[in-house]
Amino acid sequence: MKDYSMSTQETSVTPTGKSGPVLLRVFNQDRFAGLVVVALIILALQIASQFAPHYIAPPPVLIAEKLWTQLTSLWDEILITLLRLAIALAFAMLIGTILGIVMGMLPRIRPYVRSLVVIDTGIPALSWMLIAVFWFREPEIRIFFIMSVILVPFYALNVFDGIRSLPKEWLEMCESFRPNRWQVLRYLILPHIIAYVFSTTRSVIGYATRMVIFAELIASAVGIGAQMGLAQANFDIASVFAWTLFLVVLNIFSQFLVALLEKRVLRYRPEVEVR
Amino acid sequence: MSPQSNAAIQNGEEPAILLDSINKSFGSVVAIENLSFHVNKGEIVSFLGRTGAGKSTALNLIMGNFGPTKGRVRVMGMDPNKDFKKLRQTISVGFQTDRLLPWRTTVENVELGLLILREPKAQAREKALEWLDRVNLTAAANLYPHELSGGMRQRASLARALAIDPEILLLDECFSQLDHVTSQTLRADVSEVIRKYNKTCLFITHRIDDAIEMADRILVLGAPARLLLEESPTEEDRTDRDKFRILHDKIAAALGVDA
Ligand SMILES: Nc1ncnc2c1ncn2[C@@H]1O[C@H](COP(=O)(O)OP(=O)(O)OP(=O)(O)O)[C@@H](O)[C@H]1O
Ligand SMILES: [Mg+2]
Repeated sequence: MKDYSMSTQETSVTPTGKSGPVLLRVFNQDRFAGLVVVALIILALQIASQFAPHYIAPPPVLIAEKLWTQLTSLWDEILITLLRLAIALAFAMLIGTILGIVMGMLPRIRPYVRSLVVIDTGIPALSWMLIAVFWFREPEIRIFFIMSVILVPFYALNVFDGIRSLPKEWLEMCESFRPNRWQVLRYLILPHIIAYVFSTTRSVIGYATRMVIFAELIASAVGIGAQMGLAQANFDIASVFAWTLFLVVLNIFSQFLVALLEKRVLRYRPEVEVR
Repeated sequence: MSPQSNAAIQNGEEPAILLDSINKSFGSVVAIENLSFHVNKGEIVSFLGRTGAGKSTALNLIMGNFGPTKGRVRVMGMDPNKDFKKLRQTISVGFQTDRLLPWRTTVENVELGLLILREPKAQAREKALEWLDRVNLTAAANLYPHELSGGMRQRASLARALAIDPEILLLDECFSQLDHVTSQTLRADVSEVIRKYNKTCLFITHRIDDAIEMADRILVLGAPARLLLEESPTEEDRTDRDKFRILHDKIAAALGVDA
């Protein structure tokens, strides 16, 4: 047919350049600052260990040794914690997203689900932990229950927010083809809320890690939390430090992983660079 | 009293679109006031009116997004609001803004309507690619909307509306993002498709030239939407400079009167 590309601004079909150099530089700067801070902390610990007894300020070498033993001989405890974290997170993601969609798409049921979720967010994590101990005998169920009731509302509320912020124009466009409810869900709502599920995961994963450790300390005999409890009982502060170090690294690493996955899945988004 | 549409309903056949004494208010805002007109099957009718006159509102009524406050709307003899689902594949809309979904590539956006109509995947893709070729976007098939220019997006959006092969095409200012030459070529092509396959088209524009060039009939609306003037441009009006001018000025005057 005919040629429409008469106007000059329409001839370029090249995608915008990825990985802006400015972003890269900022990232490197951040990493450098991070290394400096880590070095300073190690130095401070070293100096402190010269003056204070080792059960208060263990020297960095001792912490490193403990960490090494943990990684080599206690990897099964680590694995259990990671598994608990992953399962609870996946479950909360699923249930929370479903609740969010129910709130977003079924206005009749919305106020009930919403009240339930809001009440849940008001209940302190500690209450849930104590309740879990009363209600369940099996430690796995206790931890799973605690994690779920704490994490589900985050997903539910964010997904609901996502659906509310769906542009009306898109819905009208979609409806001009006269779809059924499932098609609206599949072609419009689900792809739109994926971004919200990701951002929720990114912001909640650190909190979830802390919660699983806490829950293990209270409700279980295996896992990192239980091991930390054990270390405390044995006045083994170097082990506590080593576990802490491990958790910090785990937190940074998991955030990074989610961000990486997010970037891949949401690659349709333009990269915005604010100067 | 505003003039009523005087074009005859074609030899007793049911019109594709019929609005009968329509009023539409949003709260205290009156968007449409006693508007009556019809569009025969196979006809291209243009809506001209100032901004805020209620043109998009009339389009929404025809799409069935909401019902009128008073009056009767019929599309192919059905109430588009009450029989919403029955009009599947009957109406398609080219919107004022492109409304492409950002997570779908150009070709995926174009095939959206086909997928909703349960066309098999491979077939939907094939048709979408055909339409992309017609609007000259083949090279951009796998790009995301944010990688396209405004004009490319508008063309993709038009391809999406046409791909489902609707009987009635509603176009809301959808050539407005394009520069004059592109707009003219694309308009000519869309008219060609509409005439060739005997489709019905109602298109909104604020450019008098566009309306004269493309439409069988022009409806000039005042605000709130009511009929001020109705013209049926002839081939002579389109080709003869003077006649074009005269018609143009007549319409402009009608639009201006309402200022
Ligand atoms: N959903 C709505 N709720 C409330 N008021 C509305 C709504 N839609 C339209 N209106 C009002 O109805 C009037 C007509 O709006 P409409 O969008 O139909 O105008 P238009 O002729 O399409 O204008 P434009 O050329 O700028 O697109 C305006 O005063 C607008 O504020
Ligand atoms: Mg409009």
